Amino acid sequence: MRAREPDSTGFVDREGVPIYYEIHGDGDRDILLVPPSPITHSRIFKAQIPHLARRNRVITFDGRGNGHSGRPTEPEDHSRARNVGDALAVLDSVGSESAVLVAHCHANWWAVELADEYPERIEAWIAINPGVPYLGRSQQHWIDTAQTFEEILDDPQGWELFNRHVITNEHRRWIEFFFSSQLVEAHSTKQFEDAVGWALESTGDVLVGGELGAEIDPPTRPEFEDMCSRLDIPVLVIHGDADVCQHVERGRELARITGAEYVEIEGAGHLTLAREPVKVNTAITNFLEKGKAKEMRTTTWTRALDRPKKALYISSPIGLGHARRDIAVAKELRELQPDLQVDWLAQDPVTRVLDAEGEFIHPASEWLVSESAHFVSKTFEHDLHAFQALREMDEIMVANFMVFQEVIDEGHYDLVIGDEAWEVDHFWHENPELKRGSHVWFTDFVGYLPMPSGGAREEFVAADYNAEMIEHIARFPKVRDQALFVGNPDDIVPETFGADLPKIRDWTEQHFEFPGYITGFTPPGAGESPKIREDLGFDPDERVVIVTVGGSGVGRALLEQIIAAFPLAKKVVDDLRMIVVAGPRIDPESLPGHEGLEIHGYVPELYRHLSVCDLAVVQGGLTTCMELTAARRPFLYFPLQNHFEQNYHVRHRLDRYGAGRHMDYSSSDPESIADAIAAELGKEVDYVPVETDGAYQAARKIVELI
Amino acid sequence: MRARLPDSSGLIQREGISIGYEVFGEGEPTVLFLPTWTIVHSRVWKFQVPYLSRRFRVITYDGPGNGLSDRVTDPERFSVESEANDALAVLDECDVEQAVVVGYSDGGRFACQLAHTHPDRVAGLVLIAPNLGLGKPRPERQGIKDNFFKPYPDQPRGWQKYNAMYWRDHYEDFVGFFMSELFSEPHTTKQWEDAVGWGLETEPEVLIAEMQHPRDPDWEGVVSGLQCPILLIHGTDDRILSHAVSVEAARIAGAHLLSLVGSGHGPQLKDPVRVNLAIREFIESVAA
Repeated sequence: MRAREPDSTGFVDREGVPIYYEIHGDGDRDILLVPPSPITHSRIFKAQIPHLARRNRVITFDGRGNGHSGRPTEPEDHSRARNVGDALAVLDSVGSESAVLVAHCHANWWAVELADEYPERIEAWIAINPGVPYLGRSQQHWIDTAQTFEEILDDPQGWELFNRHVITNEHRRWIEFFFSSQLVEAHSTKQFEDAVGWALESTGDVLVGGELGAEIDPPTRPEFEDMCSRLDIPVLVIHGDADVCQHVERGRELARITGAEYVEIEGAGHLTLAREPVKVNTAITNFLEKGKAKEMRTTTWTRALDRPKKALYISSPIGLGHARRDIAVAKELRELQPDLQVDWLAQDPVTRVLDAEGEFIHPASEWLVSESAHFVSKTFEHDLHAFQALREMDEIMVANFMVFQEVIDEGHYDLVIGDEAWEVDHFWHENPELKRGSHVWFTDFVGYLPMPSGGAREEFVAADYNAEMIEHIARFPKVRDQALFVGNPDDIVPETFGADLPKIRDWTEQHFEFPGYITGFTPPGAGESPKIREDLGFDPDERVVIVTVGGSGVGRALLEQIIAAFPLAKKVVDDLRMIVVAGPRIDPESLPGHEGLEIHGYVPELYRHLSVCDLAVVQGGLTTCMELTAARRPFLYFPLQNHFEQNYHVRHRLDRYGAGRHMDYSSSDPESIADAIAAELGKEVDYVPVETDGAYQAARKIVELI
Repeated sequence: MRARLPDSSGLIQREGISIGYEVFGEGEPTVLFLPTWTIVHSRVWKFQVPYLSRRFRVITYDGPGNGLSDRVTDPERFSVESEANDALAVLDECDVEQAVVVGYSDGGRFACQLAHTHPDRVAGLVLIAPNLGLGKPRPERQGIKDNFFKPYPDQPRGWQKYNAMYWRDHYEDFVGFFMSELFSEPHTTKQWEDAVGWGLETEPEVLIAEMQHPRDPDWEGVVSGLQCPILLIHGTDDRILSHAVSVEAARIAGAHLLSLVGSGHGPQLKDPVRVNLAIREFIESVAA
């Protein structure tokens, strides 16, 4: 899922070549994002758009030759004049009188010409890894390969792949070589996959046209320098000093002759906007802030001793499970530290639970992009490739981190508690100078584990993600002031983080503390159950099966299978009563009915039903399965296919408790489900007991930081 | 020991009196710190000068009546026009074409006047708790000027001490009272002692003359016409001049307001780090 969908889109026709554009946001200031070449398109700005669109009107377009725009192949169709004209036509089409230009690589040459020819239309220019002629130095490989570009080479290797025939006939080979050369930073697998994917939406013919078109009718060096130095607008240049495409000397000289503000990112390559999104976003925002027209702006700073003790709690919205345990921890924290104010930066569905509890939700929460919706969008039937879904959430994580950081910069928080707040933990390690307050990291699993269906590539990528996390923590041990594993050391899977990486358990025991499992509620004692059953309307001579798939809307396929099993099970189990809870996102009316089967959209206090049922049938999510384990109820659980956490981490933990019966969705049918229901119904269990003081133990460790 | 001694200092003769100034550092742009009410002098900038002079040329001077300048009792010397002319004379003497100008309390009046009459000499304004007569005065201070020359009560309390005769009789007590109102934050003993000391370097007749300065211009008109970038800094617990003054000034000028929650009337002395960082950031944005 994209972190932000455009508010409107359109095409402008440029002599038969359609140019696609998008508008995001409705702020007073227009910002035009200009992609550089048919090797990419507007998605290259995906980490900037959600951030900038919160306060500005952001206009972006696919350059000729890629994305939704036309695919001309002739070099003349890719001349600078055409590209400059496209940008201007987009500005005209969206009714922009004057805009800030943000350009990457070659688009900066167009930006100079645009700002020079139409000074009244361009109010500022942000040049990212600028590709402009003459200035600074050219990379030697571009000088060398310009000589051999048209030749038919015997066995081209390395930069020789920059060759008309290779690009035309072995497009992917060139693209993969080019971007693996550009992404000099370690752990760039996602950026690489993105960049290659966008490039392959176009063709080698188009790209050759683009490369040749860019060089048509160049100005002389004095003409170009003159153009740059007479620009009378604020300029920001951002460059990585390890840029393999545009030598960093180029950015430095451009900044010098335009009198620009210059931000150099050491160790960064050509794709700073994708690989260092937080640094690039904040540099752009700070630059724009300075040039603001005269309007009132307020900053509030509170004297240190006048500040209340404050914690910002971020509860992962992927599934509802975390909300309840986080509320339990917050309650314990307030017991231990009564003057502690807890604010929540949270999104639906967590906010529903928080609202019901009367917790304070920070108003910036409305800016958050829905992680839950992203995960639903990645679920097909009973299949959720959780690791890939997390990776594809990169854009949402940048967008949400930028919101979080603004809250933290102004809110004077003593403490940040992130329950699987991946974006906070990751980007504070990537930008450790931004950390403020103490940071508590909560998780109930450690280590991405590859699924067999992902093959060797996923094995490599999962290990790379784990390695990055391990390196983050080794290099910046103070970013996490407290790391809490929700559970016990025995709950950790007996696996390694990947080839040549440590064992997960060894590493986790060294880097985490273990408050025990946090249920979020106390299960009823043996004596209380009959009373609760009576309250809930369970008849003494019926046996009740509760079927639930959580609140996310994922799970319809499983519900349908279980409903189909009901008549078969009822034949064998005479006193069977089945209550199906469809959840807030599945319409109960849309599910097939059977005589004697109850289907509800929502059941208040579902956990109480679960705590006294005779059997539960659920997905493989940790929270619900552990609630049932704590309440010592028999249950069947169906992990989502390809969900590494449910299939490995949760299953390992349940096996340790001796809890639940694992069901494989793909090999189950209504008959086998009915058989399992009949076998497990009302069964006496001998689970390992679940501790009930986890929230208190966690709060006790957290409170040491305040 | 002072944290930073001036690199140069001097006296300017202007209309018969000496104005003392000090120059620190040599970076660009120049930052000119103005005097304020004569009950204190240029040492109110003691926490700003060492920090900012590492990057910029910093000039401070004393207005007529305190510090290095002559003591005067002519009300005309305290008009905003005359005060702005002192600032111009200092800029001229130091060959400064244009400066970022920082004004505190009454110095905010002088700063706005200077930017109004000589916009080419002012690159930007930092106004700390400026006394611009916008919004309502704080309730406890309403009407105090009406009683200024009347006899004071037997056992005056609080703002009843804001009285010419009381100053003549019990100047030190008044200064102590005023400074305790100025530093409303807890744990401000050192700031209080400093400021009382500065107050005792002048005498009541100077302050009484200053009270009779000619009428100010209409600040709303002046402020709304200012073209340069402006940073306002104001404490929300300012018991001398209400925080609302700066909210109003920021609104009509289109300025950036830094609200310091819990701060009193001397934030540059009690919250020097936050104020220093804000001033530096502002200067750099103006210079860019």
